[in-house]
Amino acid sequence: MIPIDTSIAPDRALSVFQDELSGVRTDAELQALRTRWVGRKGSWVAAYMDAIGRASPEAKRTLGRLANELKRSIETAIAEREAALAAMRRAPGSVDVTLPGRRPAIGHRHPLSLVREEVQEIFTRLGYQVLEGREIEDDYHNFEALNMPADHPARDMQDTLYLAEPVAPPGDFGPPQGPPSASSGDGGRRGKAPLTPQPLTLLRTHTSAMQIRYMEQHDWPVRLIVIGPVYRRDNLDLTHTPMVHQVEGLVVGPNITLADLKGTVTSMAAALFGDSSGPSRPFDAAQGPELVEGRASSTDDGSLVRFRPSFFPYTEPSAEVDIRCIRCKGEGCPICKRTGWLEILGSGMVHPVVFEHVGYDPERVTGFAFGMGIERVAMLKWDVEDIRLFYENDLRFLEQFGYGRS
Amino acid sequence: MKVLLSWIRDFVDVPGTGEEIGGLMSLRGLPLEGLEPIDGLPSPPWSRHEGPDAVLDFEVTANRPDCLSIRGIAREIATAYRVPLNSRPAPRSNADRTSDAGVASEITVTIDDPDLCGRYVAGMADVHVAASPEWMQARLAACGVRPINNIVDITNYVLIELGHPMHAFDLRRLHGSAIVVRRARSDERLTTLDGKERVLTADMLVIADAERASAIGGVMGGAESEVAADTATIVLESAWFKPQSVRSTSKRLALRTEASYRFERGADVTAPPEAMRRALELIELTGAGRARGPLIDCHPRPHEPRELTLDAPAIKNLLGMDVPHAEVTRILRSLGFEVQTLGSWQASQPDAALPVGQIGQVWRVRVPPWRVDIQRKVDLIEEVGRHYGFEHLAATFPAVEQAPPPTDSRIGRDNRVRQTLLATGFSEAITFGFVEHSVAAPYANGAAVVKLANPLSEKFAVLRPSLLPGLVDAVSHNRRHGRRDVRLFEIGTRFAAAGETRGAAVAWTGLAAPDHWSGGQREVDFFDVKGVIEQICAALDADASFVPTTREYLVAGRAAEVHARSSVIGVLGQLNPSIAESRELPMSDAVYVAELDLELLSPAKSTALRRAEPLPRFPLIVRDVSILVDDTLSAETVRGTIRAAAPPTLVDLREFDRYQGRGIPDGKVSLALRLTFRAADRTLTDAEVHAGMDAIVAALRNNLGAIQR
Repeated sequence: MIPIDTSIAPDRALSVFQDELSGVRTDAELQALRTRWVGRKGSWVAAYMDAIGRASPEAKRTLGRLANELKRSIETAIAEREAALAAMRRAPGSVDVTLPGRRPAIGHRHPLSLVREEVQEIFTRLGYQVLEGREIEDDYHNFEALNMPADHPARDMQDTLYLAEPVAPPGDFGPPQGPPSASSGDGGRRGKAPLTPQPLTLLRTHTSAMQIRYMEQHDWPVRLIVIGPVYRRDNLDLTHTPMVHQVEGLVVGPNITLADLKGTVTSMAAALFGDSSGPSRPFDAAQGPELVEGRASSTDDGSLVRFRPSFFPYTEPSAEVDIRCIRCKGEGCPICKRTGWLEILGSGMVHPVVFEHVGYDPERVTGFAFGMGIERVAMLKWDVEDIRLFYENDLRFLEQFGYGRS
Repeated sequence: MKVLLSWIRDFVDVPGTGEEIGGLMSLRGLPLEGLEPIDGLPSPPWSRHEGPDAVLDFEVTANRPDCLSIRGIAREIATAYRVPLNSRPAPRSNADRTSDAGVASEITVTIDDPDLCGRYVAGMADVHVAASPEWMQARLAACGVRPINNIVDITNYVLIELGHPMHAFDLRRLHGSAIVVRRARSDERLTTLDGKERVLTADMLVIADAERASAIGGVMGGAESEVAADTATIVLESAWFKPQSVRSTSKRLALRTEASYRFERGADVTAPPEAMRRALELIELTGAGRARGPLIDCHPRPHEPRELTLDAPAIKNLLGMDVPHAEVTRILRSLGFEVQTLGSWQASQPDAALPVGQIGQVWRVRVPPWRVDIQRKVDLIEEVGRHYGFEHLAATFPAVEQAPPPTDSRIGRDNRVRQTLLATGFSEAITFGFVEHSVAAPYANGAAVVKLANPLSEKFAVLRPSLLPGLVDAVSHNRRHGRRDVRLFEIGTRFAAAGETRGAAVAWTGLAAPDHWSGGQREVDFFDVKGVIEQICAALDADASFVPTTREYLVAGRAAEVHARSSVIGVLGQLNPSIAESRELPMSDAVYVAELDLELLSPAKSTALRRAEPLPRFPLIVRDVSILVDDTLSAETVRGTIRAAAPPTLVDLREFDRYQGRGIPDGKVSLALRLTFRAADRTLTDAEVHAGMDAIVAALRNNLGAIQR
């Protein structure tokens, strides 16, 4: 401890004080420090006050100001430390409210389940029926009725997993009967009855198989989504797993148009990706037109979503929905292959061949269908780079979703 | 499809940079997948291109083989930019070789199977095999094709430019100067250009000479007839092969080529003569040689163009927007369709899509031969919509025309189970639908598992008979990554020969409650998991009872079946340590598991509260009884005995203590039970309850040998 020495200028003495303060651990030490520095007698500040009395008139002003500043700084610092020391302790007999509480165990949602629920909510609000289909299918429902006969090149797009031995079809395929559709009269059918059940031979490669099953058994109008796992013969890597989840939508009626499809899917995409920092923007049917991409040129109007032509065998016209790249916001990066856009959804107007297969009259009804990968949405939404994380079920991953961190 | 911008400009004078063109084409059905700026390429003398060059990589969908070429993509660009297409490649040749008719050819062409080969054009040229010009090599390389020699390069150049595959044979190797297009003989062998010997089957098409096969039609040429450095005369092939045949041949031989890729999607049957003329023209133009003799054009099945009608109301009805009539004809004509305006058409019959009397424009449209994808009116509407621009579509929503149908009740059921499990501390897992066969077997409970015919690997060989193997592996993953306490559940599909069922499974290892500084930690036991199952059953309005059972995958004596709704709806117990160990879980860990069949647990009736019970008006009386019984007697038996003997005023009965140890004889257990009595219509008297208790104690003593303590 440096002896009191008024030859040290008061402003430099402050750093001496600060050194000493940093060593203080207890209240008692703090009180001793206070006495030594700002006590009425025998303290550093008292010594400076004495020195002022002896100083020349011009030196008095400066010295006085510095001494007062020193005193104020010391008192503030001591008060702060006093408060900090007090905060470390609690009143005798009181509960230590800083000890961990006894938290009831609570589980965490799987991210795929969260996306599924979000999509389900969007469409439930729009009056869609939510259905589940079967995962083992026959060739007819998975391919042929969807305009993909045996040698169709589009079958390459989805390498199929087949069963070693066929499984007998159940008598009832699953979805509950909708309400009687009296309004549609004969349902626009041209009298083609559902096929006799075929043995099930493969794992469905897309939820679209369910479209056929539903339409075979129900008249239009149709307005439904199907969500569930689908299977592809893909090896595990960063972006592939042999099982993924899909959501499929189907709307059929006398006046369904491509514009209806555009409104529906671009709005869903905007609702899912609209605001990644918090809950999704509330889905509002009325705001649809503002979400679309703009004018007849390649100029960019800064929109979030775009709707562009594509190809699928079971829709005509077909369209895909892109969202602005999550990573680069449209500037161009490796994630979006420098295009600024990420494809998230395939869709189109139901192909007349599909209607013919289920006995709907394509001259009387039109419809749209769309399909979207749940994993892809989750990967983009939460910036997950490795799709395998969804299937490892590592709690360190799962606990980041749902009801907060544990 | 990689295309070079400067090559595109041989066909279309389009403004803009590669980025701009790619951006617009992405909105017209040709999404740009990649863009590579490229500088200083040597260009042919006729090139009109100025400014920076680039390789544009367009994604061409499976329905558009016509876009697998420079000209096809140029046609789309010309339509998008409203500029004309120069459909004949530059430079234009003056000679039209088909006019050589009448001059005898030195070779003969025979098509044995006109079904698989609809057209075969052959031409000949005397050549000097050498390197092709620099500009040609540069263009090919930019489009991903390796330059080889002038002849092969010219056939590849035509392939990329016009989209039509060609092949060159060395005339010396064609025995009998004959080309025979026939099916392969079974077990016929041919060494293809890649040096591999191929064994052919009778359904494959070959191009043969008088003696043997020299190429696989539409797939790959043979090594023997390949153009070599000393080749002096070539025979060029420009043909059309049936898509299905090329596809199955290429698939069976696992041989994919640029040619097979195009033929299997559908080539233009009218293109062979044009491609041939272009190749011969390039041979002369690049100094590679001179055409020799007339062309042979074998065309057993002449092409008949498809005609369709299109009407404006149909466009409006499907797209939900009006497209100006002038745009309809402009777009279709620009894409190569012939369009004839038939005038207005008055709807004569009531139609949902068209109010009576509405007038619509009608067109007759002839489909160009390269558009194999255009089969119906809707295909034309797509062309119109695509090039008019989806950006012109309003974003509308389908009108709701009836009350929304009820949601699948299974979804509500699964959600209830999910919520219950989340609230009891289980996190949600999702595992694959397939597992290793040996892993699945113990869970199948003796039944056959459903096997895959073409699994990716042994790890994914069978469909899961139970959710547990996947869930146990997920527990193991977490244990191996430093997690001691794991609670996971999965709701998913299980598979059996009888079909699919929805199940819910849980797995729990580690502490029964989260670790806390106040102590009292305990490892999970049977009753923790049983409690969870009881909660789920309660959430689904099912009264569950539990019966001891055995399962290969559960520890004997710590396994129970769950009975409810007159069925066995599930199983719970401690996972067999040998299974746990085989899945790399420590032997010392107790893992408790349970699985329920949710199909059997669907809410049986409306689960809305049926009627709220009024609160009881009279007080209840509580009595405890403490007894000593054999410890092998089940709690269910004791409760049953009490219930049978008790008056109807017994409203609740529960075990509150169970003790074995000091002061209790071996084989006995001390049980304490709390009984609650209440009557709905009066206050019970002590005497009444006392009499009830006496009857109960007597029944316990007489029936179970219980000693009251």
